[in-house]
Amino acid sequence: MELADRAVGFILSLISVTIFTYYTFWVIILPFVDSNHFIHRYFLPQEYAILIPVSAGVALLCFISIFIGYVMLKSKKKKA
Amino acid sequence: MKHIVKIITLLMVIATVWVGLLQTSTIPRSHTWLLPIYCVVSLGCYGLLMVGVGLMQFPTCPQEALLLQQDIIEAKGYLKQKGIDVSVS
Repeated sequence: MELADRAVGFILSLISVTIFTYYTFWVIILPFVDSNHFIHRYFLPQEYAILIPVSAGVALLCFISIFIGYVMLKSKKKKA
Repeated sequence: MKHIVKIITLLMVIATVWVGLLQTSTIPRSHTWLLPIYCVVSLGCYGLLMVGVGLMQFPTCPQEALLLQQDIIEAKGYLKQKGIDVSVS
């Protein structure tokens, strides 16, 4: 039904906008703010700004390669 | 073969721009180091946003759905008449 589609689309766009603004703040704006400012409490330390996307990318690559390998093995077993 | 050459040249251009930025330091250095990851994350975010917006704006055409259902019933009746069984089993 179209209402469920609309809701899912809205949630997806909301998630993407949140991630984008949070990451922009984290990487670009926060280094220019003094370290005594209260806003630093809402953001993790800066090393995580690199760790989290890189680990997510590596996990995604692993998942994709495992999936491809699994499908290839299954098709080969079915042919034999 | 040609397509992957195009992709690799594009990546090379982006890499040279980044190294050039590092050398001349127009932007503060800490920002330049984080620039590639930031670009990748923002590209992924943009893709997700486009998917969400497309989902929200998807047209459903309710009249076409009704006509389609009628077509299905008509086709089922016709085939049953000819002796082919198309019930959901």
